[in-house]
Amino acid sequence: MIGHLNEETVISLRDINKTYPGAVPLHVLKDISLDIRKGELVSIMGASGSGKSTLLNILGILDNYDSGTYMLDGTAIRDLSENRAAELRNRMIGFVFQSFNLISYKNALENVALPLFYQGIGRKKRNRLAMEQLERMGLADRAHHLPGELSGGQKQRVAIARAIVTNPSLILADEPTGALDSITSGEVMGVFRELNESGMTIVIVTHDPGVGASTNRIIRIADGRIEGSSDTPDFKKEQ
Amino acid sequence: MFDLFREISQTIKNNRSRTILTGLAVAWGIFMLIVLLGAARGVVNNFNDFSSDSSVNYINIWSGYTSLPYKGYRDGRRIRMKDSDMDEIKGEVKAATDASISATASGFNINGPKDYISGGFNAVYPGAQRSERLKMKEGRFINTRDLEELRRSIVLHTDNAELLFGSSEKALGNQVRAMGLSWKVVGIYSHRWRKDSYVPYATYKSITGGDGKVDEMNIKIGGITTEEEALATEKEIREVLARRHEFDPADENAVWIWNQFANYLSQGQAIVYLNLAVWVIGILTLLTGIVGVSNIMFVSVRERVHEIGIRRAIGAKPRSIIMQILTESVVITTLFGYIGIVSGMALLQVLSKVLTDELGFSNPTVDITIALEVTVALIAAGALAGLFPALKATKVKPVEALHDE
Ligand SMILES: Nc1ncnc2c1ncn2[C@@H]1O[C@H](COP(=O)(O)OP(=O)(O)OP(=O)(O)O)[C@@H](O)[C@H]1O
Ligand SMILES: [Mg+2]
Repeated sequence: MIGHLNEETVISLRDINKTYPGAVPLHVLKDISLDIRKGELVSIMGASGSGKSTLLNILGILDNYDSGTYMLDGTAIRDLSENRAAELRNRMIGFVFQSFNLISYKNALENVALPLFYQGIGRKKRNRLAMEQLERMGLADRAHHLPGELSGGQKQRVAIARAIVTNPSLILADEPTGALDSITSGEVMGVFRELNESGMTIVIVTHDPGVGASTNRIIRIADGRIEGSSDTPDFKKEQ
Repeated sequence: MFDLFREISQTIKNNRSRTILTGLAVAWGIFMLIVLLGAARGVVNNFNDFSSDSSVNYINIWSGYTSLPYKGYRDGRRIRMKDSDMDEIKGEVKAATDASISATASGFNINGPKDYISGGFNAVYPGAQRSERLKMKEGRFINTRDLEELRRSIVLHTDNAELLFGSSEKALGNQVRAMGLSWKVVGIYSHRWRKDSYVPYATYKSITGGDGKVDEMNIKIGGITTEEEALATEKEIREVLARRHEFDPADENAVWIWNQFANYLSQGQAIVYLNLAVWVIGILTLLTGIVGVSNIMFVSVRERVHEIGIRRAIGAKPRSIIMQILTESVVITTLFGYIGIVSGMALLQVLSKVLTDELGFSNPTVDITIALEVTVALIAAGALAGLFPALKATKVKPVEALHDE
């Protein structure tokens, strides 16, 4: 797992532990150690409740962890202020969610442009960059439609456009195909593969073995522990 | 900044009916506040007009009848003040800075070239102009030289001048006849309801060889600031007259005293209370507005937890979330508050035409500084209303908010 030292590592986790406090504290992540190299397309698979989303939220600096170390692109992610976390999320990470998480009263273009708004980029440039990404997703003609007027696949492609508009070092996707039929899922995975070929690092949490098979490495997680990590030769064949 | 307003107009549009309802409540509150302020201002203006055109620091005294037996005298006795009382009061009552007297001479006509008026005239001191609140339209009032030189000068009401001469221009400088003598018209005045003619007291006394009996005395008061002092002065004056005319100092009817100054001071107090009441109402209105707007912002934050979570996930800093909620709150409050100000001022414009001096209002308007003050107060109120909802919004945890659908 710690091979490929010659290649640049984007994510490096060492002995990460996370417990949800409560009447019965829940130890969700147990000594997770993991490296993800630049340009990888990785899937995280495991049973429901095994801790996949928790892990992804920690990777996305949306949640914190109790012990261990997390290096993101050379930056130690630990005890960050809200402002710093927001800044890192904005510049380094793009999120894609199962339920799309688009803002319902903003049209596709405005949704895609929103991360740039928080970078203080002017409206004209924002809209130009957002439009470029929508074109890349084949959605130029839907730019002025509200999310409610788009199909599930289109919504997810808008969400992907929003995730990549800031040119982040990492895309994190939690069940991005969970709400889509198999054909649309295939299309969305096609988009992820294209993005990966253009050099983007992508981590996808999924239940779907088909989705897992179309990534180039599967990390298996069970009961909060990493069970194993295997390359997917099938993927190469598909190419 | 422009972007921020774009964001806000979008979210307001998205919550249109709730925003408009709360906004209208704010507008209504501010509208009422402006109207109240204007009405109070009208009352105050009226009061100030009244006190500046008259100088209110007078105590007026009229001769009366005793209502209490005293030192062997029976009640019901007529008391007639004398002109010498005036000097006595001036000498003894410290607060009395000046005094004038007025004797009514009646039972004869005043004849002009065109017509005559019946009744008589008042023989007065120059101070009568101020104490009787006479506005000179032409010429002058009776002056000290009239008294010293025993001139036969007369001051007429403008209506009477017109009656006697055909027009008030023709009257000034010309003669009228009264008591078998000719009098020169030296001034013409106007007044809402007084119509009397005035001549110098000394001239009148010398003509009639009079006994010095007078009907009215006006004492000018100075160096006094409280109602208690004004009432004490009234008592001193009554005591002087009681001693000189032998009536019971407790007898309120032997001479009638109108203490304008005490009235003025107590009215002044009432105006202070009126202003205070308006401000208290105003502040309560504003507080209600703050609570209302604050409430809608709380609801808005709660409904938008998911949206705030998305914004946080894609890089919104707590500061920009706070700014958005605050600005939204200020925009709502100021916008609708402004509608309230403008419509309130419009109503006052109409009212200022309808409510006249006689109804106790003068120019019931709110000037622009008050409007500006209210605007500043609105912005502050909006910020205050948005503060707690905004802080609540920053407590939204992106992870939890993103789950929440
Ligand atoms: N905020 C929380 N507070 C307490 N417990 C939590 C919280 N979030 C998740 N859990 C618990 O932690 C465990 C792991 O949750 P997690 O969402 O990471 O699982 P998952 O692998 O993503 O499951 P799924 O495949 O169903 O999405 C679960 O037992 C869940 O109930
Ligand atoms: Mg999950």
